[in-house]
Amino acid sequence: MELLITGFIIGCAFGAILYLGGASSYRRILGTLLLKDMTIIKLMATAIGVGTLGVYLLDAGGLANLSIKPAYIWGVALGGIIFGLGWAVSGYCPGTCVVGSAEGKVDAMFTLAGGLAGAFIFSIAFPYLESALISNANFGNITITGLIGIDPIYFAIVFSLALIGLTFFVLEDSYE
Amino acid sequence: MHDKAIISWKVAGVALGLLLTLATALVKPLGVSTQFVVTDAVITHRIAPGFAESNDYLARYGEKEGWGVGYGWMLVLGMLVGGGVTARLFGDKQPQADKGSMPPMWKNQFGDSRFKRNLAAFGGGFLLLFGARLAGGCTSGHMISGISQLAVSSFIFGVLTFGTAILMAKFLYRNRNT
Repeated sequence: MELLITGFIIGCAFGAILYLGGASSYRRILGTLLLKDMTIIKLMATAIGVGTLGVYLLDAGGLANLSIKPAYIWGVALGGIIFGLGWAVSGYCPGTCVVGSAEGKVDAMFTLAGGLAGAFIFSIAFPYLESALISNANFGNITITGLIGIDPIYFAIVFSLALIGLTFFVLEDSYE
Repeated sequence: MHDKAIISWKVAGVALGLLLTLATALVKPLGVSTQFVVTDAVITHRIAPGFAESNDYLARYGEKEGWGVGYGWMLVLGMLVGGGVTARLFGDKQPQADKGSMPPMWKNQFGDSRFKRNLAAFGGGFLLLFGARLAGGCTSGHMISGISQLAVSSFIFGVLTFGTAILMAKFLYRNRNT
């Protein structure tokens, strides 16, 4: 029960941040993909910058519950391409269509419904895709720092500073 | 595009990074797309339990919570509530161009047919979740949480997703100058 309430509260904060930051706006997402409005890319890069440092500081203290997704090259690559098409066509992603629906946006509700249908069809297709795309060329839960063979905290500090430097000092808010 | 969102990208980005850190300390990193499968699994199990149990993928996620919902689903429910409540409280501060079910930008390019917009939104959503489930995550789980954990799979996902989406957006708006 406590776990469910924790999830609910974290979700409330997540939804509020996405709404207030403008991430559930079609115009901003397409502006991002057309490389004109940098708001969302700067929001994401800042979140990753802070998140990388936060997660690996926790990890250095033995407090992080990490969840590294396995690198099965073909499935991740093809899935990323299909996802990218859906992102540009709908103007939403799985999280922002939930927030858009909560705002009362009808197109976001259609994206949510399409998402439920897409996940269902994937469940049916899964047995046919698994051997070729998921079990094949699966390198497991590998990280960049594991591959290079250095302590992740040092890499995380440099990577975080680079991302935050990029968003705060290099990228403009918009390119018209 | 000079009008600002309700909070700046700096505030939203730092807040999201801290929220990810908190979630990783308490339970696990943020993720959304799995819960579409959980929702499908729970609904399918109500209607056709035999079919749900015989499908490997639905069973994998359904059985985890005894064909009910758990932490991750409550998180997505929270997003619905948190997004909805802030939209009611701060809606008057949201730029007009960010509101509504028919984005002005779409209307200028593809006309004012609601059917066309909703069909594209549905088809886009279908591709989003088919792709996310094939890749094992979406913008939150792969891009934000995954890259923050320096996962190789998430870097691959991030590059291909952004690359494809940029090309597709440029194609959709190919004759647009602004």
